[in-house]
Amino acid sequence: MSASAALTPQPSSSRFVGTRPLLRVSLRQDARAIAPWVLLITALSASSVLAYAWIFPDAADRRGLATALGANPALSLIFGPARNLMTADGFNAWRAGQLGAFFAGLMAILIVIRNSRADEDSGQAELVASGVMARRSRLAVAVLMAAIASGALGVVSFLVTVLCGGGVTSTLMLTASFTVSGLMFAGVAAVAAQLGSEARTASSIAIATLGVCYVLRGYLDSSDLPDRVTWLTPLGWLEETRPGADNNPWPLLPALALAAGLVLVAFALQGRRDFGQGMIATRPGPAAAGLAGSIWGLAFKLHRGTLIAWLIGFAGLGLLFGNLAGSIGNLVAANPAVGVILAAGGYGASSITFAFLMTILEIIAIIAAVMGVQILMRVYAEEVDYRVEPLLAAALRRPIYLSSNALVAFASTAVAMVVAGTALGVVASAEDGIAVGDVVRQAIATIPGVWVLVALALAAIGAAPARRPVGWLGVVATFALTILGPTLNLWEWLLDVSPLRHIPNVTDAAPAWSGLVWLAGFVVLFTTIGFAGFRRRDIL
Amino acid sequence: MAPTTTPASAPSSASQEPAILIEGLVKKFGSFTALDGLDLSVARGEVHGFLGPNGAGKSTTIRVLLGLLRPNGGTARLLGGDPWRDVVELHRRLAYVPGDVSLWPGLSGGEAIDLLGNLRGGLDQGRRAELIRLFELDPTKRGRQYSKGNRQKVAIVAALAADVELLILDEPTSGLDPLMEAVFLDEIAKEKAKGRTILLSSHIMTEVEVLADRVSIIRDGRIVQTGTLESLRGQTRLTIDATLAVPPREASELSMLHDVHVDAHHRLTATVEPDRINDAMVALTPYRMSALTVSPASLEDLFLQQYGVTDPAAQATVR
Repeated sequence: MSASAALTPQPSSSRFVGTRPLLRVSLRQDARAIAPWVLLITALSASSVLAYAWIFPDAADRRGLATALGANPALSLIFGPARNLMTADGFNAWRAGQLGAFFAGLMAILIVIRNSRADEDSGQAELVASGVMARRSRLAVAVLMAAIASGALGVVSFLVTVLCGGGVTSTLMLTASFTVSGLMFAGVAAVAAQLGSEARTASSIAIATLGVCYVLRGYLDSSDLPDRVTWLTPLGWLEETRPGADNNPWPLLPALALAAGLVLVAFALQGRRDFGQGMIATRPGPAAAGLAGSIWGLAFKLHRGTLIAWLIGFAGLGLLFGNLAGSIGNLVAANPAVGVILAAGGYGASSITFAFLMTILEIIAIIAAVMGVQILMRVYAEEVDYRVEPLLAAALRRPIYLSSNALVAFASTAVAMVVAGTALGVVASAEDGIAVGDVVRQAIATIPGVWVLVALALAAIGAAPARRPVGWLGVVATFALTILGPTLNLWEWLLDVSPLRHIPNVTDAAPAWSGLVWLAGFVVLFTTIGFAGFRRRDIL
Repeated sequence: MAPTTTPASAPSSASQEPAILIEGLVKKFGSFTALDGLDLSVARGEVHGFLGPNGAGKSTTIRVLLGLLRPNGGTARLLGGDPWRDVVELHRRLAYVPGDVSLWPGLSGGEAIDLLGNLRGGLDQGRRAELIRLFELDPTKRGRQYSKGNRQKVAIVAALAADVELLILDEPTSGLDPLMEAVFLDEIAKEKAKGRTILLSSHIMTEVEVLADRVSIIRDGRIVQTGTLESLRGQTRLTIDATLAVPPREASELSMLHDVHVDAHHRLTATVEPDRINDAMVALTPYRMSALTVSPASLEDLFLQQYGVTDPAAQATVR
């Protein structure tokens, strides 16, 4: 990276003067925020190696795994194609490869935005920039921090995975792809930080880019398109290193080149913009309040940008994934054994394609929960910024304030499921035996599962905001249990913790509606905790 | 120095409960005690100056009054109600200006004013327009584009355009330029004339000196002094500034004076208790004074004395 070369204290390095002291302070500040990401991704990789030997001790088990999961297109969406499930390394590369790369990218994006754009919003950067500090140094620090974090992630996850029994070459290839993903998306975030005129816009642009790359990669992997289309997305390049199978390092080179190129673009853009402004300028607002004149309008307006972007995303997900329904038919025709296993995935469904669509809806439900939790986390962010205080100093009841945001969170997740379900159903109904109405009804039946996760975040934000990570933990745990759980043959009672396990199949002769009643009970319970706590606690 | 303002509290409001009545208020944040038995009483129709250095507990007190924080002990009454329980009823009758205004980044100033006004139960549109003009505020800018002073103006316009009984102002002029500060003082004087009760937390002494009927000084979470400016002055030493032909050989020759300081030009500065001013004059006469100023304690002196800053040079420099 060009920035690291300039760190050596030479007279010619004045373009990056001040980088070193700022980097030291920022690293110390941010270490606590970075560590969980490194641990999470390391755990993802190490756990697959450990679990593999334990859960699939002999060749028969492993063959069973390879047939059952490796060929399941719903799982290739998330994990990419399974190249070799007969070894621990191959299993690890499949289970941790794309997910690890995704989380490494997310980590890098958050680090870069937090240390560049967000500091300009808060005014902290102004203080720093008034010191002996070259104009480029702050961005250089942000990018270097992401690079250091990505490097640390690579080293830690490599060492831990190898200690847990991973093969050296395969693990090296896998963890190197984590690091390179971090570097690429640090570059994406550095560019996004120059475009958006505030931190939230910038991180939305960068995370949307990451999301599109991931979904596109998932689509290409699950579709019956030729293999070379994988090269269309940067995450596909990482996949082409094929850890545990071919161990081919060359695809990392274009990825590194992309990272370097993006960083150079970011520096060029930064030289052209004003401090505190973005390339996308802010338009003047209305002189009087229309929509934002009431608390309900305010909640909607504050989240409007996020909601529009998300709903477009959900429609896109539905259309894209609905398209995959066709490949299921082909797959089952080619390999009837797969069909048997697919249908036996706990659904008892007569239609294999419908079972696949149910899995897709579960994935969409988890993404919808991410949106809902994000909206509620905003409530606390507003409180920390002292923007709730003037509202509550007016004649506004606390429950009404919380309701306005909870309503947006609950309604938007429901709308998201309906939008995605309709798009999914319309496209998937091209297949025989799939009715749009069934898919939409299934999507609606999934809503209470999403709401449990949203309500859990609401309980945390309302009653004990210091414990608000519980909200994200719920989403991560549901993802792990629903998507990763079956790959690990986890116990039934543990898998049952996931709210999405209790969604009935609406095409069954007698759907198990009682599951929804339980879910609704938890929604009510968590929501009540949130509201009761919010009434009683101190407001910042 | 400061002009005598209106009497402490109008007799007509004596029958009513005070606008604010706090007794023995305690608020703890973990092991840190922010308010430690605070008592405060603000009569209806009075402008009450609430003074204290950073971190003394001013904002915590206000946030208890706004029902945002729940006290650990003591009682607080606001406009005859309970600030924690009767939040909405009370907040319809008050407006608040925080010291550090944080606006919604995507909302224009005009939207923020209307939002806050609507939440209080409506704005006087004529007054809103007048205030926007007086404060030279551009209501179409987005929250993030405003400077600190302009964010402050947004909150001030929203508060003053509301028809309320009580204004709670927490360092309202921080960040305002002197011209705008003058506009603000004018507007507050108008509000006062309309009979509104105002709790003015500040550490800008001139502001409080001009506006306040009564003053409370807070220190480490307790009120250490409260009363009219005159009554506080009554307990506080006067400042003597005299030029002497003959300098005193030792400070002990003038035992009734405090903080005695004599410079190379025989200029003496000292402080003296109000009831010993006559003795001081008698004692100073032998030194043949060629100039003499005796000034009542300014609010700033009161404040500094309360906080133990007694360096006469420092006192001499404050106005």
